[in-house]
Parts: sequence; C-alpha cells; structure tokens
Amino acid sequence: MRILLVEDDALLGDGLRAGLRQLGFQVDWVRDGDAAERELRAQPYAAAVLDLGLPRQDGLDVLAAIRRAGVTTPVLVLTARDAVPERIRGLNAGADDYVLKPVDLEELAARLRALVRRAHGQPLECLRAQDVVLDPAARSVRRAGEPVVLSTREFDLLQAFMLGANRVLSREQLEQQLYSWGQEVESNAIEVHIHNLRRKLGAALIHTVRGVGYMLVRDAPGA
Amino acid sequence: MTAPLRPAHSLQRRLLALVLGVVAGVWLLTALVSWLDTRHELDELLDGHLAQAAALLVVQQAQGVDDEEGGLDAPTLHRYAPKVAFQVFHRGALVLHSANAPQAPMSGAGQPFRAGFQTVQIAGRAWRVFSAHGAEQDVQVHVGEQADSRADILWAVLRSALWPMALALPLLAVALWWAVYRGLGPLRQIGHALAERQPQALHPLVLDGAPAEMLPMVRALNSLFGRIATLLDAERRFTADAAHELRTPIAAIRAQAQVALGEADGARRRHALQATLEGCDRATRLVEQLLTLSRLEAGAAPALQALDLRGLAQRVVGDAAPRAVAKGQTLEVQACAPCPVTGNETLLAVLVRNLVDNAVRYSPPGARVLVAVQQQAGQAVLSVEDSGAGLDEADLQRLGERFFRVPGSLESGSGLGWSIVRRIAAVHGLKLQACRSAALGGLKVVVTF
Repeated sequence: MRILLVEDDALLGDGLRAGLRQLGFQVDWVRDGDAAERELRAQPYAAAVLDLGLPRQDGLDVLAAIRRAGVTTPVLVLTARDAVPERIRGLNAGADDYVLKPVDLEELAARLRALVRRAHGQPLECLRAQDVVLDPAARSVRRAGEPVVLSTREFDLLQAFMLGANRVLSREQLEQQLYSWGQEVESNAIEVHIHNLRRKLGAALIHTVRGVGYMLVRDAPGA
Repeated sequence: MTAPLRPAHSLQRRLLALVLGVVAGVWLLTALVSWLDTRHELDELLDGHLAQAAALLVVQQAQGVDDEEGGLDAPTLHRYAPKVAFQVFHRGALVLHSANAPQAPMSGAGQPFRAGFQTVQIAGRAWRVFSAHGAEQDVQVHVGEQADSRADILWAVLRSALWPMALALPLLAVALWWAVYRGLGPLRQIGHALAERQPQALHPLVLDGAPAEMLPMVRALNSLFGRIATLLDAERRFTADAAHELRTPIAAIRAQAQVALGEADGARRRHALQATLEGCDRATRLVEQLLTLSRLEAGAAPALQALDLRGLAQRVVGDAAPRAVAKGQTLEVQACAPCPVTGNETLLAVLVRNLVDNAVRYSPPGARVLVAVQQQAGQAVLSVEDSGAGLDEADLQRLGERFFRVPGSLESGSGLGWSIVRRIAAVHGLKLQACRSAALGGLKVVVTF
C-alpha cells in the first residue's frame, strides 16, 4: 500500500517513514505543503499522513486545495494542535482522521489501513475474494483456511486488487500503487507477480482484460 | 501556607478610643482652665470682701465703740456666719470679735503683726485672714474666712461644668461608635466583595461610591489583579505552547524508538537509535529554551554588572564556530576595542548566542555571518548579519511572535529563539532592530545598548 507522508520535521519524518515501511507500507515523504499538494494531485496514493504546521503552505490549505481539485485520497491529519476547534476545522477541511502527536506506529498503521478499507467500501479488517482472505494487519493470506506464503510485492499486489475488486486496473495504476520513489520497476514485474498469484491462489481470481489491464473477481463465477 | 490572620487591633475600637480620648482630654483641659480662672476670680472677690469688712471694722472702731464693751459677740446672722470671723485688738487686747473668733490673733498667736492677706491654720482648719491697722497704730483688725468655704463655692461652680460632661461622655461614645461603624462601611463592603470572589476571578473590583481615601487601595488592588491576570495568562499560554511544541520531538523519539525495536537490520537499527538520541537532544534544547523564556517572562529583574561586550561576542562566536564550519560558512567577529556595557552576562550571552545560532542555522551552506561590536555616538552597538535569503517586510513584522517560524524554512526550529532575544532586550532596555543587511544581503539584527 503506497502512502504519502507529509512531515516537515526531519527526525519525525524519518522515523515515521522507517516505521511504516516496517509495517508493510510503501512510503513517499515530502516536507512542505506545496510538494504535498503537487504529489497528492499527481499520484493515486492509497492514503496520506498530513502534518498541519508545514513550510510554504499550511496542511489545512493543502487539504482544502486537493479536495477542491477532486482528490479523494483518504487523509489522516497527524498534528500537535490538539484544541477541539482545530480538530473540527481539520475534519471540516476534508480530513478523514485526526491523530495527535505522538502516535504509536502500530496504531497509525491500523488507522491508515482502516481509512483505506473504508475508502474502498470495505468495512471489515480482512479483505475477502472468493475463497481467499487477506489480513492487512497481520500481512497474512489464507486460501480456503490454509496459509499461503506470498512475497511482499505479491501481497501488496493482491491487496491492491482486493481493494479495487471488480474494477479493471491498468499496469501503470498497479505500479504506482506498489512502488515508492526510487524503486526500480522491471518492465514485466507486474506480469511476473500476477503469474505467481494465479499459481498460488488459483487462476480464476485475477482476469486479464486485454489491452486494458487486470481485474480481481470478488465472487467466484457461478457461485 | 500563611498563618491565620489575627487582627492586631480593631480599627473601630481604635477610632472610638482616639476620638473619645481627645474629647475627654479637651474637656478636662477646659475644666482645669476654668477651675483656675474661677478660683482666681473668687479669691479676688472674697479677698475684696474681707478687706472691705476689715475697713468697716476699722471705721467703726475709730468712731469709738465703747471700749468697755470689749469682747462683744457679734450675732450670728447667717448660716455662713460660722465660716467667717473677725477680731479687733486695741493695744493688744481683744475688744471686738465675732462669736467664733479665737482669743489669739487670727494672723497667728505670738507672731509679729503683718498687714495684708495670709492663709493660716486655726484649729486644724485653713483660714484666709486679712489683717489691718486701725486709724491708730495700736488698733489691729483681723478678718478671717474659712478657706474650705471657697473650695465649696469653687466645686459648686465646677460641678455645673463637669456634670454635663460626665453624662454626655457615654452618650457621645455610643454616638461615635455608630458614626465610626457607618464611616467604616466602605471597608466592610470591599471586604465582602473580595470574600465573594471566585479564586480565578481577576476582573477589576468595582465599588460604587468608594470614598476618596479608599480609591488608592482599590486602584492598587485592581492593578494587582491585572498583573496576576497577565501573569496567569502568560503562564497558561506558555503551558499550552510548550506542550504543543514538545509533541513533535516526542513523536519523533517514539517513532524512532519503535522503528529500532522492530528493525532486524543492524545498520538501520543503529540509524534509528541515533535518531532517537538526536530527538532527545532536541527536546532538551526546546525545554531549555522554554524554561529560559518562562523565567524571563516571570519578570524577575536580573542582576546587572559591568562587562565587555566584545569579549562576550567572541566567546559566543567561538562556541558557534564548529557548526558554522560544518556548514562551510564563514563566521567572524569585527570589533576593534573592548566595549564596556552594563547587563546580565548570562542573559546577554543567551541573546547573542540566539542571534548567531539563527544566522548560522537559517543561512545556506557557504554563507557569511558577521558579528560586529562597536561604539556609535557613545552607545554600544552589536550587530549580527548574514548573507542568507533574509526576510521580507511581512515576515520581519512577525519575527519574535512565539513559535512563529519563517515560512519556507526547512530548518527545524521552534521559533522560540527570537522570543527569547526580544525578552532579554526588553529586560535590559535594549533597542532591537531587524532589517536587510546592506553589506551581505541577508538578515541584519542590530542591538543598541
């Protein structure tokens, strides 16, 4: 799951990036408001962690700007401003969650996963498709109750498919969701991962739509 | 915390005692004066009567009252008569006397004759006696009067003056008690108003129709309330700001520590631990800054001493040099001569350090930072300028607002440094100016002593 971290504080930003990476997120980190707005408008991030006191442009202004521009990426505001009017302003400006510093990394990750799930209309912690169950928190996958071992990329790809179930996703979209900045993407990486997923989870799960992309089918045909 | 207040005395009782004491004193003094005056007048009058009576006896004796009827007892005609007596001696023999007159001359038995007034003791009583010669030298006339009859008259006169006073004093005391009680009403009113206040109520005390004498006290109280309110406000704001500002470094420490806990890779774990320590250092610095500011805002006047501004600037720049060198910056001091100023050395060092730190921190690598100390028109002037980006007008205005950070700056900082600088300048009465550096193009801060 690829997220954008917006935090001007070098030490905190570095810590959050490392921590969220440990917990299975692909993290891009920007340190000012203008960069945050630019990236959120350009990339389909699964979610964003947004600090409010930012250089160049305040976090709330960034939030208002991207919401005006129609960006629906879930945004978790992470801030030291704890006054109730501040929280209300944040939520009114389009924040999906409001978390006070300091925050536990596990909690931050759980909240981000919840935001992403809700954004995709999936209120349950575990994602399901046919007989496959994916637990984002535990980063585990079961097929018909049996554990299936997936690589990090395969897991992330499956999660992206499950979140966008029954929708056709292009290769570019999938790459954007899988790789953060600076990570080399081999030309046929997505195809290789999809091949592996089909091998481990069954061929009926992911369909190829020629010339467009791929689609995960939530309910087994004829089931 | 404080011992229970016990009144040293009651203002009411004190006022009452004072007024009553003064009234009684004045009254007694009046009585004393009138007593002395009355006695004097009475003595003159009665002595006059004695002399006149003696004159009558002398005249009568000269007209030849029968000598043979010596020892004639004059009749007692008035109840006052026993208190007066007379004697007429002719050639040493008592020829005429009143019934109560002794045989010996009233002026004193065996004493040589002395004309005029004298007070003598006769039969244990004081008598006022007037003695005179008759027409011939061998006739002696004594007229006497018991002295205590004079005292009776005096007492009767004084009594009429003292009685009303004795009666009036208790009445006056009651009336005065009431008057004083009424007069102290505003004091009780202010007491009630203060007692009914909530501890956190710090609005000014409003007393309708407070007397002129109490206005200074009410004003002093209100000014005290005002100062406490300002202090509490500052304290509250400080606490809020401090908590707020500490959150970010604490969040960083927590995140880095958690990363270190969950990291299997040795190098990355080391990095996270290093960052944790860095976060602790930053939180410490922030706490120190906050404490400095808090102490400054508490408003305790610092101890001032004579010191050399040049030496101080050199020391501070020496401390800051390693950081500047690490950023490839040129940091220099320009000062030709020692520059004596008066101030608190610790605080002035904090001021200069903050200015130099800001210049080093917010100027890009390779920049130049110049600290100058000089005398200008008899005033010591310290300036810190850099070749950084400088600030525009609007940001110059906002500089020194607590936690204001220049937009666009990527350096971490709390914006507290400027608040501290401003506060120290205010405490020392220094003039602080920020402008664009003409020489280097960046920010220039001028401190005038």
